[in-house]
Amino acid sequence: MEPQQAPSPPPEAARRFSHEQRLHPMTLVQRVLKSLPALFFILLPFVAGSSNTDSWFMLGFIAFYGAFALPLIVAQYLRFAYWITPAEIVIHSGVFTRRKRSIPLDRIQNIVIERSLLPRLLGTAKVKIETAGSKTTEGVLEYVAFDEAEKIRQVVRTYQQHLDTDAPGTTPAAITDPDEDAVAGPPPAAAPPVPKQEMLFTMALPRILLSGAFRFSLLYIALIFSGMQYVLDAMNKSPEDIAEWFVRGGLEPYTEAAQASPWLLGVVTIFLAALLGWVTGVVVNLNKYHGFRLWLEDDKLHRRHGLLTISEGTTPLHKVQALIVRSNPLMRRFGWYRLELQTMGYDVEQQGYQVAVPFAKEAEILALAPHIRRFAIPDALTPVSPIMVRRTFVRYGLALGAVLAPSAYYWRPALWGLALLPLLLYLAVRQYRNHGYALQDGILYIRRGVFQQYVWIVPVDKLQVFYTAGTLFQRRLGVRSVVVDTAGAGTFRFPQIVDVVAETADEFLRALYERFQAHFAPPAPTQAEP
Amino acid sequence: MRPLDPAIKTVWTIKLAVGWLLVVLAVLTYDVFQLFDASRRLPFGVLTGLVVLAGLASTLTLPRLRYRFWCFDLHPEELYLERGLWNRVRTIVPLRRIQHLDVSQDVLERSFGLGKLIVHTAGTRSSNVILPGLRYEEAERLRDEVKHYITEDAV
Repeated sequence: MEPQQAPSPPPEAARRFSHEQRLHPMTLVQRVLKSLPALFFILLPFVAGSSNTDSWFMLGFIAFYGAFALPLIVAQYLRFAYWITPAEIVIHSGVFTRRKRSIPLDRIQNIVIERSLLPRLLGTAKVKIETAGSKTTEGVLEYVAFDEAEKIRQVVRTYQQHLDTDAPGTTPAAITDPDEDAVAGPPPAAAPPVPKQEMLFTMALPRILLSGAFRFSLLYIALIFSGMQYVLDAMNKSPEDIAEWFVRGGLEPYTEAAQASPWLLGVVTIFLAALLGWVTGVVVNLNKYHGFRLWLEDDKLHRRHGLLTISEGTTPLHKVQALIVRSNPLMRRFGWYRLELQTMGYDVEQQGYQVAVPFAKEAEILALAPHIRRFAIPDALTPVSPIMVRRTFVRYGLALGAVLAPSAYYWRPALWGLALLPLLLYLAVRQYRNHGYALQDGILYIRRGVFQQYVWIVPVDKLQVFYTAGTLFQRRLGVRSVVVDTAGAGTFRFPQIVDVVAETADEFLRALYERFQAHFAPPAPTQAEP
Repeated sequence: MRPLDPAIKTVWTIKLAVGWLLVVLAVLTYDVFQLFDASRRLPFGVLTGLVVLAGLASTLTLPRLRYRFWCFDLHPEELYLERGLWNRVRTIVPLRRIQHLDVSQDVLERSFGLGKLIVHTAGTRSSNVILPGLRYEEAERLRDEVKHYITEDAV
């Protein structure tokens, strides 16, 4: 787990894991505890309004729980077994339907050890086995003892290294593009005994707190308040009661003054909302990025961060498909950026995007980038056709119309919404100004965004499919979009260049494709390409 | 550039006609239910008639137009596709990016001896590129030809 630790092969552990293994007994406690909140919420209305019939219901539920849920948890535990052979991990599970799953070791990309608060208190950890083939986690062991989890990872790595030496070129660690093989020759047969480690990025506490200040989020507040609503409803209390409880005593004069003037009330509300959003931002980031470390080991990027829940991630460098530099206007104003990696294959929670550097100055990102993929964002990106402003404005306008027309039908004053049109024009212009593209040194740069700004940094050799597309309207205006498809891109956020003058678009696509072909050309004198 | 097999026009026409038939049936049902409603505004059959007309018009024209704008070519290093009536898309699929290939055929296509080639890549939005309207043997031949280029490419 610690980057300083070398994965030495523990033979006695390997021998032990070759027999059937049970999960940690504390799993039982955790499963029961985990099932309790659901039970609590089911029972909550009965706890609150305590009439006699309701108490019977409650007793019934508890009896049901005792009779079915608890034995089920125990049975699940008893029926779960796993073991590791030199070729695969086998997991048997299921009470009513037996599932026997074997995961070939050479397909395993990553073993993630996850520890949230409760497992940490009980000295256990959750082990997730991720493979290249599927987007989801292939196998989960929840929970095993923490040191056990470490050993599982080591044993698998050791076996994988053996597989590696037996058949180079067939294991994940050794898979490269076959063309690159031709250039670089077969990979070295034996893995180095002590892997090289290089710390790329760490975040000190002040930096984390600062990053939280830039993360202004009202989402969490909304979640907290809606959760509160539910609890209050169950307790037969209204939000006003809580508000009164908050403002009694010292705050009274302020609330009265605020109530006297609507303007003051408005200002205070906005101020309070901003303050809350700001504080939650800091708290959320502190929890998420506490002790953030990013290091390089064996051509794999490792990440570890978190306060209550420590999360870890490993990304083989050759799995990185694109880099994304993100920022919002406030961050840009002070020169802060965030680096994300688009990767292929796993980490479903982030849809293929992983935060490599949550919050850093541009120079810091550029300094560590060569370890991942060297890039230099050109100062001047090529702008697209100004026709984009017009098309974007029309699109926004139509969306506004679609919202306004039905409401104006019932309520005339809704037509005042048309006053938003200048704002839409402003947004369209911003969209256009932020949009730009360039192809330089075999890397495609695309910048997009209205307020949030994304810069995609896509190595041409990672491109999958090339497109140009022009809708009827685009064709009439003589523009076209250039779309490139990469592995692991999101559904809504993907690199594309919209509204380029048709001839320029065709030319650019040709240049892009020629660069792609040149990368894979048989003589391949491009030694500089990693 | 190679066009698709002309028989695909008939397949598309039948599929479109079946789709429209379902819509016409739904509208007809609505019309019948409105028949004895005193407050209805349109005389019986107007709505259904309009839908039938729209269906006929699109069934007769769309497959032909679609066919006209579809073409493809297999180059030494890439598969090139051009298609689209409304959104004209030109696609380059580098052969080395192909993960695997399928040839498929539905009931209707079978009766016309047609098939389609489905090209899977590791991309996200175009993880499968479909080339319809090939003679079945032609689709198989294309598949075998392209198959040589499939590499165990890690992405």
